[in-house]
Amino acid sequence: MLSDFGTIFLFILAAVALVSMMLGMARLLRPNNPNEEKLSTYESGEEPLGNANVQFNVRFYVVALIFVLFDVELIFLFPWAVVFGNEDLIQQTNGQWGWFALAEMTVFVGILVLGLAYAWAKGYLDWVRPEPKTPHVDSPVPTSLYQQVNEKYKKS
Amino acid sequence: MSASLLILIPLLPLIGFLINGIGFRRVPKGAVGVIGSLAALGSFAVSVAVLSAFKAAGSEPQVVSLFDWITVGNLNIPFSFQIDQLSLLMLMIVTGVGSLIHIYSIGYMKHDEGFGKFFAFLNLFLFFMLLLVMGSNYVIMFIGWEGVGLCSYLLIGFWNTNTNYNNAARKAFIMNRIGDLGFLLGIFTIIATFGSVEYTEVFSQATGLSIGDPVVVTITLLLFVGAMGKSAQIPLFTWLPDAMAGPTPVSALIHAATMVTAGIYMVIRSNVLYSLAPFTLEVISIVGIATVLLAASIGLLQNDIKKVLAYSTVSQLGYMFVALGVMAYSASMFHVITHAFFKALLFLGAGSVIHAMSDEQDIRSMGGLRKKLPITFLTFLIGTIAIAGIPPFAGFFSKDEILAHAYEHNKLLWALGVLGSLMTSFYMFRLLFLTFFGQFRGTHEQEHHLHESPAAMTIPLVILAIFSAVGGFMGVPEALGGTHQLAEFMSPLYEGARQVNPEAFAATTLSHSEEFMLMGISVAAALIAAIAAYVMYVSRNSVPAPDTAERSSLERLVYNKYYVDELYNGVFVKPIAGLSNLLYSFGEFFIDLIVLGTGRLVKGVSGQLRQTQTGSVGYYIFAMVVGIVAILFWNLLIR
Amino acid sequence: MYPIILLSVLGIVVLFLGFMKSKNILLPATLLFLALALGSNFIDWNQGPLLYFYGMFSVTNLTLAFNAIVLISAFLIVAMTRGFQDDEEAQPAEYYGIMLFSLVGAIMIIGYEHLIIFFVGIEILSVAMYILTGSDKRNLRSNEASLKYFLMGAFATGIMLFGIALLYGATGAFSLTGIRGFVSTAAGAQSYILYAGLLLLLIGMLFKVSAAPFHFWTPDVYDGAPSIFTTFMSTIVKTAGFAAIFRLLSHSFAGIYDFWYITLAVITVLTLFVGNVVAVYQDSFKRMMAYSSISHAGYLLIALTALTAQTERSILFYSMAYSVATISAFGVLMLIAKEKSLDGRPNESYDAFNGLAKQNPLLAFVLTVSMLSLAGIPLTAGFWGKFFVFSSAADRGLIWMLVVAVLMSAVGIYYYFRVVIASYMKEGNTGKIRVAPFYQIVLVAATVITILFGLAPGFFEQLL
Repeated sequence: MLSDFGTIFLFILAAVALVSMMLGMARLLRPNNPNEEKLSTYESGEEPLGNANVQFNVRFYVVALIFVLFDVELIFLFPWAVVFGNEDLIQQTNGQWGWFALAEMTVFVGILVLGLAYAWAKGYLDWVRPEPKTPHVDSPVPTSLYQQVNEKYKKS
Repeated sequence: MSASLLILIPLLPLIGFLINGIGFRRVPKGAVGVIGSLAALGSFAVSVAVLSAFKAAGSEPQVVSLFDWITVGNLNIPFSFQIDQLSLLMLMIVTGVGSLIHIYSIGYMKHDEGFGKFFAFLNLFLFFMLLLVMGSNYVIMFIGWEGVGLCSYLLIGFWNTNTNYNNAARKAFIMNRIGDLGFLLGIFTIIATFGSVEYTEVFSQATGLSIGDPVVVTITLLLFVGAMGKSAQIPLFTWLPDAMAGPTPVSALIHAATMVTAGIYMVIRSNVLYSLAPFTLEVISIVGIATVLLAASIGLLQNDIKKVLAYSTVSQLGYMFVALGVMAYSASMFHVITHAFFKALLFLGAGSVIHAMSDEQDIRSMGGLRKKLPITFLTFLIGTIAIAGIPPFAGFFSKDEILAHAYEHNKLLWALGVLGSLMTSFYMFRLLFLTFFGQFRGTHEQEHHLHESPAAMTIPLVILAIFSAVGGFMGVPEALGGTHQLAEFMSPLYEGARQVNPEAFAATTLSHSEEFMLMGISVAAALIAAIAAYVMYVSRNSVPAPDTAERSSLERLVYNKYYVDELYNGVFVKPIAGLSNLLYSFGEFFIDLIVLGTGRLVKGVSGQLRQTQTGSVGYYIFAMVVGIVAILFWNLLIR
Repeated sequence: MYPIILLSVLGIVVLFLGFMKSKNILLPATLLFLALALGSNFIDWNQGPLLYFYGMFSVTNLTLAFNAIVLISAFLIVAMTRGFQDDEEAQPAEYYGIMLFSLVGAIMIIGYEHLIIFFVGIEILSVAMYILTGSDKRNLRSNEASLKYFLMGAFATGIMLFGIALLYGATGAFSLTGIRGFVSTAAGAQSYILYAGLLLLLIGMLFKVSAAPFHFWTPDVYDGAPSIFTTFMSTIVKTAGFAAIFRLLSHSFAGIYDFWYITLAVITVLTLFVGNVVAVYQDSFKRMMAYSSISHAGYLLIALTALTAQTERSILFYSMAYSVATISAFGVLMLIAKEKSLDGRPNESYDAFNGLAKQNPLLAFVLTVSMLSLAGIPLTAGFWGKFFVFSSAADRGLIWMLVVAVLMSAVGIYYYFRVVIASYMKEGNTGKIRVAPFYQIVLVAATVITILFGLAPGFFEQLL
């Protein structure tokens, strides 16, 4: 019988095999047509090389923070799921355990959802916040005058 | 004696303070003075009622508990008043003299903008002073102690537009705080030793201790440091002359009659503890006599009318401490009482003169005022005679009693005391003669303005003058065929002390003839000094300076008389003047150096330490790491 | 326990109330919520020692009293936040929400029974403070302060966590009772891992209450943060922090008093010295108050070092007196700084107070009472605070420390009186300052509390 480490070893083998298979198939199927843009690390447009002291757009951080929050939530869900599905506990409490654990997690997720809703409503999820700025000048010259001038010299 | 009656005594001034303080600028000016004075008079009346009730009830001391105040662990401090002989005497002085000074202030401060503020502060002062003397434990005493210090600060800096006055106020406050530090530590030591701060509890426990117990010596020394600050003894006396920046009634009430005697009150109150600590008593008498001589010699040369009185106050306080040092507690209290009368009188008289002279305080610009200010002159004369110790005025009896006890204790102490009284008499008469005799030396405008003060000011003067004249008869010594009523009245206070140190309270060993001799010497000294002052400042002034004129032989003879004067001048006055100047500068500069130096030091260190706050996070974290490493290193490796 | 749940839920509610058109509802709503939390705090009153959350959180009358101080302080401070609505860039709903959340953290560290709860609580409190410090977004100094606070706070958190880990390693327990059990064994009292853990944890905690030499962040952060949040930090964080340290030392480590008291005593003296002496040199009232808060941390540390039976009450009384006086002092400062602003920035120097008494006697009086209380002059609550603290040190026989403390409190008079002198004795024009009625009530209430407890400290005892 395999030990636990053996399982892990098989898992690693499978992973390597899977990746090589995918990349190999891609290699066979795709047209090979490289250019400079395609070869850069981040095709999204971020320069991978350069001065480390550049200013990032602050929204990267906002999104990253929100992402980390949900990432952590997800990680928390795994151990929770183990306890939630514990048959012994469910039997001992006559099924109440499941409801209790579910309620607890609902509260937890609920708070996060509220937070997400708040961030959404505040506009922190919008990448480019619309800021229409029409330059406005308090000029004594009425706009119609400009139009007249435009009309006048249009032809020449 | 019901609690409600007692509580009225401090409550009335507090109410007065609240009305005048909150309603400042709204209460009409006429009402302000009346409210303030009524508050003081009211508590005086209640005090009298309490005194008569006390006597009627057989003079049993009692503690009236008002409410439970603080309870920490097993330390319980109630808010309660103790009524016994000592607190009653202080009550009478504080409210009695206080009332007179309130009335006087109505006239004196009439033209001042801050009239209402002044009365509010004065009432607040009375409130704290009454707490101080009525409290039945050290904590209440301390609160009163701090409170009067605060009021003194506020009143010295009353004319706060003048920076010098503000500095004087701050100096007074800081010097007092140095004293308070000792007092506070003393109280903590008392708590640690006796587990209580109630007088009755502490003293009854203290009677179980032996004489010279180091703990008691520590306590008494610490408490005495407090007394040095408040009662202006060497080396903490320089604030008192500076405190003359305040309005004159304040000088009379706070810096002569009441607050500065708080230190003496405290020592008498703790007489059991002090009787147990002979070493402290030695220290007290040495500090006391040194203060007497230093202050009196400085007083010889001052030309500001209030400064002379201030130094004289310091010197008289020194006498009281001398008396405490030789365990003549009653004599000390006696001097507190008579001093309250005549020094308040002198200050108020000086105030009247200053009032008349349009705020001129230099006696070189006065002279010949006796015709223009007859009542002030007469009362001032009585005050001067009283302080000089010429019978049968009040100062004679009290000072003589102190000197007699000093003689019994140590002849040198007595001799120095007589020297001090000689100087006292001299500078007081000098002040009197320069102010009221001879020609007027001020400006023409001032001369035109001269007038006797209004009745509100002269009536208190007259009342105080009467007390200064006859006040001494409450303690006529046995040798003169009287009975010492005051000593008898106060004697139950020393039950505990008598128990622990019976020798100190044995009957006097002096024979009547010795006592007469002592009295004779001190009276003679006072009279000689008075005559010397007369010769120097009245006779000499009456003859124009003979330096320039060509003279006949007869005139030269007269002139030769002045050679004698010059000789005296050269042999006695000049050296004393030099010494006086030296001591003055020593006192002022050396002590200011210490006090200011401490302030500078703190500022300097502060300036250096401030540099550590660089604003750089790297540095901050480095400092933290150093701290952490040091803590770990020391705790885990070295220990 | 109830306030924790209530405040967490209501904090979220406040956040969402921010979406309403009118911002005017936020202040009364927050005050109402705080009052509710205060009321719920007393549900457990006199129920005896209770344990909640599987024995991780404890409730006694004492922790409830600390909660009450924190909540009342918060109530008074929130009541002074009227200015938020006027500022377009400000996010009042978020500030109020964060303040409520931070109170959750404070209450958690007041009553923790388990070090994990303590850690979570102190992080909730600290992170909230980092944000509030930087809330004045357009002010460079506020940003700088926030970043500094965060960097140093993170460092201290690391140290603290390391300490907790070592304690767990030594004792195998996170709960205070478990640790005490280990300490009381012979081996436990000698364990060096335990010692190191205790020291590191203490250092982390002392950082939060700004004891020297971990105080360096305090002046910069207090100075840079908007005054209202400086008030919040210097009262609530300090009170809760001291309650937490007291809890740790008295519940778990009283057995090895001889080991830690010397370290704490040295830190105490250093704190007193640095706080008081450097305060002398400051020209800005606000910066002086920052150093003053360091020096008050020193006085509170005296009580901790002594650790007698009265210590808990001493700390309680002192925190109360200190918080109330600080709130009223900052209240006056904020009014004046705004009135006399220079170049659009509030003027927080001593000179701004010149001539205050003439035009605004009420403000001058409030300021004077709070300064007297901070300086420890009798008949104010501050005096009794110092008195209790000093007498517990005297009980332990720590006389040398007492001498330093009394000397330093004399130095304190100097800088506290400077502002009183400025407002009463210097000439200047402050103009008639209009004080909103609500604001006025807060100031008067704080002053009345200071005087009331100054006159009758026994009254406070009876409340417990």
